[in-house]
Amino acid sequence: MIPISYNVRSLMVRKTTTFATAGGIALVVFVLAAAMMLSAGVKKTLVAGGRPDNAIVTRKGSGAELSSSIESNAVGLILATPGVKKDETGAPLGSGETVVVIAQEKLGGAAGQVSNVLVRGVPDNVLKVRPDVHIISGRPAKPGTDECVIGKALVGNYAGMTVGQKFELKKNRAVEVVGVFEAGGSSFESEVWASLETARSSFGRDGLVSSVTVRLDSPGAFDKFKATIETDKQLLLEAERETSYYEKQSQATALFVSVLGTVISIFCAFGATLGAMNTMFAAVAQRKREVGTLLALGFSKFNILTSFVVESVVLAAVGGAVGLAASLLLTFAKVSLMNQASWSEITFSFSATPNILLGALVAGAGMGIIGGFLPALKAAGTSPIEAMRG
Amino acid sequence: MTLLGIAARNIGRNKLRTALTVTVVAISTLFFIMLRTVVWSWTSASEFAAKDRIATRHKVSFVMQLPRRYVDEIAQMPGVTSVSYANWFGGKDPKDENDFFATIATDPASLLKVYPEIKISEPQKQAWIADRRGAMIGDSLAKKKGWKVGDKITLAGSIFPGNWDFNVSGIYTTTTTNVDRATVWFHWDYLNESLPARSKDMVGWIVTNINDPGASGRMSKAVDAKFDDRDLQTITMSEAALNQSFLGMFSAILKAIDFVSVVMIAIMGLIIGNTIAMGVRERTNEYGVLRAIGFLPKHVAQFILGEALVIGIVGGLLGLALGYPFVNFGVGRFLEENMGQMFPQFRVQPQIAAMAFLLALGLAVVSAILPARKAAALQVVESLRRVG
Repeated sequence: MIPISYNVRSLMVRKTTTFATAGGIALVVFVLAAAMMLSAGVKKTLVAGGRPDNAIVTRKGSGAELSSSIESNAVGLILATPGVKKDETGAPLGSGETVVVIAQEKLGGAAGQVSNVLVRGVPDNVLKVRPDVHIISGRPAKPGTDECVIGKALVGNYAGMTVGQKFELKKNRAVEVVGVFEAGGSSFESEVWASLETARSSFGRDGLVSSVTVRLDSPGAFDKFKATIETDKQLLLEAERETSYYEKQSQATALFVSVLGTVISIFCAFGATLGAMNTMFAAVAQRKREVGTLLALGFSKFNILTSFVVESVVLAAVGGAVGLAASLLLTFAKVSLMNQASWSEITFSFSATPNILLGALVAGAGMGIIGGFLPALKAAGTSPIEAMRG
Repeated sequence: MTLLGIAARNIGRNKLRTALTVTVVAISTLFFIMLRTVVWSWTSASEFAAKDRIATRHKVSFVMQLPRRYVDEIAQMPGVTSVSYANWFGGKDPKDENDFFATIATDPASLLKVYPEIKISEPQKQAWIADRRGAMIGDSLAKKKGWKVGDKITLAGSIFPGNWDFNVSGIYTTTTTNVDRATVWFHWDYLNESLPARSKDMVGWIVTNINDPGASGRMSKAVDAKFDDRDLQTITMSEAALNQSFLGMFSAILKAIDFVSVVMIAIMGLIIGNTIAMGVRERTNEYGVLRAIGFLPKHVAQFILGEALVIGIVGGLLGLALGYPFVNFGVGRFLEENMGQMFPQFRVQPQIAAMAFLLALGLAVVSAILPARKAAALQVVESLRRVG
């Protein structure tokens, strides 16, 4: 076996070429890792909103909260269903909520640019049903007032979205922001929570809610709850575990990002692999004499083949590692994307999972193997006598 | 022998390397064409937006509706030539609920008047207007679903519950990107008559043609002022502004595509520059000979730049030759049929093709500058001494 230090030294002899080739591979790995991290971030943010012991009830066939509507009198029936947990006062832990998307002026962009923000009208007990939500500045909204709290991802990004400021849900019907909440990185952090009555009367939805979220006695109580809700043919409702509801909501956007990223990466990878191939062919041609000498010394053709493939992989792995390191910087960045399921803008972050990092590195090394194989084969086929003759 | 001739000969010396480099240039050109076509397909709607069309919707939220009578009030305003209206229906194909396409309830006769770019044959148009359950379907959606004129189709309503039956009365097409080719349009009356009293007589948005294209700003303000003291306020803007505001929501993705375009150009530059540099290094003593027999440093630099230029031209042309069929018949057809809302038209535009070709040329030359300068600066004695 030819020592790897031989390959490393050979790479160092031609620094510029080595860096140019590794740089190409680094950029490809960076793009690939970035796209996968964003796709994972989209999933993580949207799925984080769900709890396994929560169930969400929507109108059958609506598919999402935004297109669903449930009559108020059905809310009582849903909350009275066996399996719904009661709080210490004996009241059912459930919240009938109304969801509307409003166009709000975005700050920091072009003048007059608006984006959709989701407004959720919530009953007073909402924090009991969603214990993962915590007020981090200001205070909770007083029940029965035109006060609201906003998710921390909205703060400072939209007109009127700061504690103490006001914005209109309807002409002459301003709500005042009194607090900011965090929700474990979930999509709730990109929402406005106002009182149910304020939202309903501002949007002309009296007597209706969009969805009902209930806390169950245990995650295992879901199947029975679902069966009870869905057998009532008059209500025409469907129940879904909150975790799987949010999983479904994330699919379209996560898929879009990862398909776009994969297509881009494949094209770039093609170019970078050919670049690596060029470099390795040049290396083989230049070191023809060395290869001849090695063969004459008794190294086998297979040794030569492996050695050049290893050299190419080292080259690619260095590039891949640099690209990966650069992509990790993205975990500090935030991206606002339109979520296709709710038609509103949600702030996502890049999420680096071990699988993604490993996958990107393997992809980088793979470019090295593919790019190095043909040149290595050529090197292995060198005739020692010819090569040494010059 | 001309300069370009020498460059071409030099390129032929290492055929494999040249072939690989030309392939890289061609692929990058193709990819550049594709990325820019994505952006064009997405953003050019405002380019096609009619200047004499303004759209009105609920002031606060697009999910909220306006009373139907607003339509008649707008129609009576001076300067208005025709008005149409529509409701988002949110229908799904019961056989494939995840397949998203737009379903919109509208008033057929006025819709076709307001949108002259929607092309449908006269008999089909009349048939659609006459049939209350008739639907007009975009050609790319019809092709994908296998729907033909005369078919009966059933859609499941997500906002309006139940199964809804339609007769396919006509298939439309369009050549502009502001109208997609994957929408099911049907009679607003059919939807309205089936609704409970509380949600009857409401429209999602109103589109108005005005007789003076220069007055769209003034007319928009006039419409909003008219309804300002009503229970439901409106916001009206020109079609171009509406498209812009919609694109604003996707700005992050557009930025990402721009960023990737730059990254890709960087990768391409590195690879071409590398190849040229390798060739120059191998031929160092030849350049020494050229200098010794009287060629000036600038001639050496010209040889190298000429070589790069040839690679750029060949690669760029190959990229265009691959790009046209690949985009127009491959990716384009797929995107138009499956993601027709986002990409109503996905065709290579001449200006994008020209840009991609110039980019290939420019990049090849720019990445050769450094090796060329290095070679030109070599001392004759020094370069003659070097071997291989």
